[in-house]
Amino acid sequence: MLFREDTAARMQHQAVRENAGWYRWTHDLVEVKGADSAAFLDRLFVNHIAKAAVGRSKYTTMLNEDGKIIDDTIVMHIGENHYWVSTLYAPQMIEWMKSHQNGEDVLYRDMTKEIDMYAVQGPNSLQVVNALLEKSADGLKRFQSEDNKIGDMKVKIHRSGFTGELGYEIYCRTEDTKAVCEAIRAEAKKFGASEVTVLEVYVRSLPVEKGFALRQDMYGLTPFECGLDWSVDLEKEFIGREALVKAKEDGPEYKLVGLEYLAESYEDIAQRETVYYRGVPCGFVRTAVYGYTVEKNIGFAVVEARRALNGTELTVGSNDSPAVVVDKCWL
Amino acid sequence: MPLSDKLEQKKCVETVWGKLIPEKEAYKYATRQIASFCANVFQVMRILEPDFEKRTSAICDISYMMNMAASSEEYMNGFYDEWNIPEFCEKSSWLGAIFGDSGDEYENMAGRVIQFTRDRVEKELDTCPWDIVGAELCNMTTAMFTANFNLNSPTGENEVALNMCEARGCGDCHCRVVAERRDVFGQGEQGWMDHMNQPAMPVHNTPRERMVRDGQIIRNDYYSNAFGEEKSFEWAYRWCMEKGWVWCVAFPLIAIREMAESEEEFERIFKIVFATAGKNAFIEPFAVEGLRSWLGVPREIGDNDPRLMGGYIKNILDTQLVPNRLECFTKEEIRIQVDADTFNGRFPMAPVDEMTIGYEILWHNMVKTMVSPEWSCWFENKDTDEMMIVVARKIDKKMV
Repeated sequence: MLFREDTAARMQHQAVRENAGWYRWTHDLVEVKGADSAAFLDRLFVNHIAKAAVGRSKYTTMLNEDGKIIDDTIVMHIGENHYWVSTLYAPQMIEWMKSHQNGEDVLYRDMTKEIDMYAVQGPNSLQVVNALLEKSADGLKRFQSEDNKIGDMKVKIHRSGFTGELGYEIYCRTEDTKAVCEAIRAEAKKFGASEVTVLEVYVRSLPVEKGFALRQDMYGLTPFECGLDWSVDLEKEFIGREALVKAKEDGPEYKLVGLEYLAESYEDIAQRETVYYRGVPCGFVRTAVYGYTVEKNIGFAVVEARRALNGTELTVGSNDSPAVVVDKCWL
Repeated sequence: MPLSDKLEQKKCVETVWGKLIPEKEAYKYATRQIASFCANVFQVMRILEPDFEKRTSAICDISYMMNMAASSEEYMNGFYDEWNIPEFCEKSSWLGAIFGDSGDEYENMAGRVIQFTRDRVEKELDTCPWDIVGAELCNMTTAMFTANFNLNSPTGENEVALNMCEARGCGDCHCRVVAERRDVFGQGEQGWMDHMNQPAMPVHNTPRERMVRDGQIIRNDYYSNAFGEEKSFEWAYRWCMEKGWVWCVAFPLIAIREMAESEEEFERIFKIVFATAGKNAFIEPFAVEGLRSWLGVPREIGDNDPRLMGGYIKNILDTQLVPNRLECFTKEEIRIQVDADTFNGRFPMAPVDEMTIGYEILWHNMVKTMVSPEWSCWFENKDTDEMMIVVARKIDKKMV
């Protein structure tokens, strides 16, 4: 949990918002190769993977046959017929791929142990990474990656992140991770960029303020219920499409909403805490955290669509903690 | 609007008189029963070893060793997979905190992880069903946590200072365990009696108005960890009925037996303690009234009827998820068949033979005050799959 008075968490959070911060966060990585890799991924994912040029990435959800989210990923187009899928659940994704491969010419494997990743995030992150890299990252667009070097170590630099700030991800070989880490530490120090060591700062308080949800927040909902309509292309075929067409016709049953918790603190609110409208259960919490930029206790909840209007007053948990529905993006 | 086709169905434990005890009530009751058995075992320990530090260190030693032995690399890797601990989490000491937090919630120790960083973890509880047992148990859990942390240490070395700076078993409002990385906070290695000190950094104290009475599995039907993986109430109930006995009864009993001069001495004191607990359970007349209400006993069942005791025992077995079968349920005799291996080995890898001895003595003495001294309770065919729990009249001129 994060609290208003946690000075270490506040300092790390604000470093990313105002200057730059860095941390190690290796997603699981699934490598996909083969002549049919684009078509295969297009069938697995909601977004148009085949439209991403080499060096570009796409955010997308992955649905089950009922049109419900079972994962969300960044798919990086690494080379011709070659993709990296960034997920927190590689073993589950591999199983899903196995069970949904229909003779396509495609190979996939969990390569998590081979690649490490460091994030450098914040308005001054470009200066930090440029000081590290052999080639400048000035020209990189959002969701674009390219090969580069730190010293004589090969790295892949990807303009992306989970903080809502300008940010870069540095992928390196596992055997180089210590040296890369030390190089980042040394350069970051020159720019006054902090190492972010509080997990909940980089996984929760920074992303939630910007409306970034984890897979676990959206699990079991449709992309429409999570406000991800923009990522859905019903013109192409993908697993869950049929159910999603029907879901669109029927309208959302639930919605992932932003909640502001109005009590001084939120120690009594767990990740699955029940949410009530006038004393009647209407949903459950997905996260509660303190946002050091907005200076509020904020988070996400899944509530019945009819209770999802902004301004709806709700209570949470066994102590009737007051909360109000708001847009799920605070900055 | 048409009428509903039928009533909605929810899970319950049914008493022999048809009263339905909701599954969450049953779970809370059963959890407290385990704690109560543990409290009796700890009384045995206090008689056998009068020195607080000696007995506490002894159970710390054994629980540390047993936890280290039980939690093999294979077991912990299974835990990582089951909980989907992502690769970005170094498999370092603080993963022990995730392991500990899940166990707390499965056992209805309601609280929260206050802080969870690479260098420091703070866990706070508002309730603990085991808060009646005493400070030795609170100390002992720090030894178990030490094992969890050491097991997750990449070097196998003790990396953290671990302090249970508050404990409900000691009378505090909260339980609070703080793990701080020793190299960061400049702390030395700890002996077993050093784990109840204050941590290096200040704690966060949840105010009373924000405290919770029940764990997540009761409040929300699920326990959810930081990585979004969830365990259902049903899963946690079974987990608790299996493993709840292991850490608080099976582990300390190994050390407590060693405290006695002989096997006979241990059993003599063990039986005296459980007999006293049994006699005292229903000494208050209103306690029997409360039991009748809990089980839904009809007025036709009079005060001197063994079915009261039989219905009670069956309810205990049912709420503890122990399969059993009523063979006889009359106003003259009760016979309940139960497999001895299941009765003693709720977690088959760690059977507790003392459960047969303990419950036989406990119930034999309990029936004297719950029903009347005419009645006795004993177990037949012990150590077989046809073990029979009997409540009937018995005259014994040396009844003790």
